[in-house]
Amino acid sequence: MSSDLVILLTAGLTATACGLLGPFLVLRRNALMSDAVAHAVLPGIVVAYLIFQTRAPLPIVAGAAVFGIICVLGIDALRSTGLVKWDAAIALVFPALFALGVIGISTYATGVHLDLDSTIYGEIAFAPFLSLDVLGAELPRTVVLGGAAVVANLAFVALLWRKLKTTSFDPQYAQAVDVSPARLSRMLLVAVAITAVISFESVGAILVVALLIVPAAAAHLLTDRLTAMIAITVAIGWVSAIGGLSFASAADASIAGMMGVVAAGCFVLALLAGPRYGLAARAIRRRRAGRRARVALGAAGEGGAAA
Amino acid sequence: MGPLIDALPFSYTVSVIALGAAVLGLTAGVLGTLAVLRQRTLVGDALAHATLPGVCVAFIATGAKDASTLLIGAGAFGLIGALLVVGLERSGRTRPDAAIGVMLSSFFALGIVLLTYIGSLNESGQAGLESYLFGQAAGLVERDVTIMAVLGLGALAVVAALFRPLKSTLFDIDHAAAGGLPVRALEVVMTALLVVAIVIGVRTVGAILMVAMLVVPAAAARQLTGRLAGVLVLAGLIGATVGVTGALLSAQSGLPTGPVIVLVGFLVVLACLLLAPGRGVLWRARKLARDRRRLLVEGVLIDLETALHGGPPPTQRELALASGRPRRALRRALRDLERTGALARDGERIYLSESGAASVHAVLERRDLWSAWLEHGWRLELPDAREPDPRDLRASLGDEHADRLRALAAEARS
Repeated sequence: MSSDLVILLTAGLTATACGLLGPFLVLRRNALMSDAVAHAVLPGIVVAYLIFQTRAPLPIVAGAAVFGIICVLGIDALRSTGLVKWDAAIALVFPALFALGVIGISTYATGVHLDLDSTIYGEIAFAPFLSLDVLGAELPRTVVLGGAAVVANLAFVALLWRKLKTTSFDPQYAQAVDVSPARLSRMLLVAVAITAVISFESVGAILVVALLIVPAAAAHLLTDRLTAMIAITVAIGWVSAIGGLSFASAADASIAGMMGVVAAGCFVLALLAGPRYGLAARAIRRRRAGRRARVALGAAGEGGAAA
Repeated sequence: MGPLIDALPFSYTVSVIALGAAVLGLTAGVLGTLAVLRQRTLVGDALAHATLPGVCVAFIATGAKDASTLLIGAGAFGLIGALLVVGLERSGRTRPDAAIGVMLSSFFALGIVLLTYIGSLNESGQAGLESYLFGQAAGLVERDVTIMAVLGLGALAVVAALFRPLKSTLFDIDHAAAGGLPVRALEVVMTALLVVAIVIGVRTVGAILMVAMLVVPAAAARQLTGRLAGVLVLAGLIGATVGVTGALLSAQSGLPTGPVIVLVGFLVVLACLLLAPGRGVLWRARKLARDRRRLLVEGVLIDLETALHGGPPPTQRELALASGRPRRALRRALRDLERTGALARDGERIYLSESGAASVHAVLERRDLWSAWLEHGWRLELPDAREPDPRDLRASLGDEHADRLRALAAEARS
């Protein structure tokens, strides 16, 4: 595989994995929880590195999942004391966990080949140089991991489709038929943690949030159907991957960052030009409605004068 | 700044760092409180992230690396970010959390692109800017601290001058608007102040963790007092303490400043959440345990009195059977009573000592008074709508009302 193709596949698969979860996060108003969880996986990665002294994916995924759960439970616990509001609870827990991870990396970085830059924006440009041995075949590591994340998230969404849909659109009804929205949110956030850590090497733990939230928020502006929303989200993800790659090499800047910027551009486009909820469409509708009302009033006025 | 720096018992560099961190903690504490009380903390997170591209744009535009130019860029982008968050929230379809998330990650991605772009231009250019990610106290110079202090004092003066209108807006925005306050303008002022706090802090704490500096002092101070002025002052003090401690620890250990400050702050908040008098989790748990114990002991006293009233002094076993209480609870209550000298024993049998009889009397009287209050309290026609303390009704009503309540109850009984 050529190195450009490896980078493109890595970026696209990461965006796809994020795009499968993003719509649910946006619909359930969990966008900021996913931001918190993506930050909180960092100490999990560091701890796994320190304990197992390896970059093998499984221990690191496990460590990240554990810290993702710690983050969610910690935020829930803080909220349930009633002493702080939800936003403050989020803003207290994730910086603390992230700070722990950053200190861990700065202290032990030499031993574990980790550094702060890759934490934030990944090192997708190095993707072609890392390979993983799968059943005797040498495959690019990030592509294999990204593919695994896509398959896992696809399975997660497919298996829990009905429950995810119910709890996202009508949490009260879901509660009434014994499907707990809170539990599904937690499962979703664990999936986010695992996706974040798999994307860690390619786009970094923080920019993964851009791929989770921004394309889904853009798709939310474009459609009312869940399946269409997921499809559009994934499509925007690929557009961001392709666009990010080409613009980044033109400007000699971070690929992951450029992917986020392209995704943001797609969001702005959807916000301005969306067919139904876009600002332009709404302005036109408002003006038409105003004109119709004026015409109707004018007709009524003439009719009244004639009578 | 000079004399202040000389007055501190540290070396010159450390004094500058400590002063800078104190200014940052003070302003972030006070101004962050305004955001935390409006539940807009995470907007602060988005604004902090938005300052990163601002710093980069300022650098690209001017080529300058002095802090004040870069901070102007940070402030401009912070304000743009604030406008966009509010505009997006009001645009209808996008929910507040998604709006904040979109702004946060878009601006941050842009910041990373610009940062890496600057890095590719020349080798040395990026070195200074990277500290805006995780913060660096070590690079502070006296001029920076002076600028931070002037900005911070200005912002605090605004808060002091607008204290009353801000207070009304924070606690009941509809009431404030009905009273003729320009609440929209006040919200804009509060957001602008938030941007000032972030601009002051972002160099030392870093864009990613700045939000913690906004929320930590407010969350800690709120546990310790319920008055807005108190929360603001305490938040400022806590912020300054956390900032100085963290900055000094980081300067000593060479670790990035932001994470160290944040961890120190998190520990402070945790301690306040657990131990704050009247509110803290452990404080409340201890109070609950004590109240339960007191009720148990009083109940056992009355059980014993009832048993003595109906027959010979009971053994512990008989008392357990008669009262239906679990053995262990009964044993514990009897041990407590024995320690206070309320019990007397005759072999196996238990009866009340003189002081025990007196306390039974007191408990019964208190309970009678409480039932009288529930039944006839309305006839007292108290001059105010006070909520009496059920544990000591007599003290909270006053002797005069208590006696009248007893008279009313006796009258109703006869």
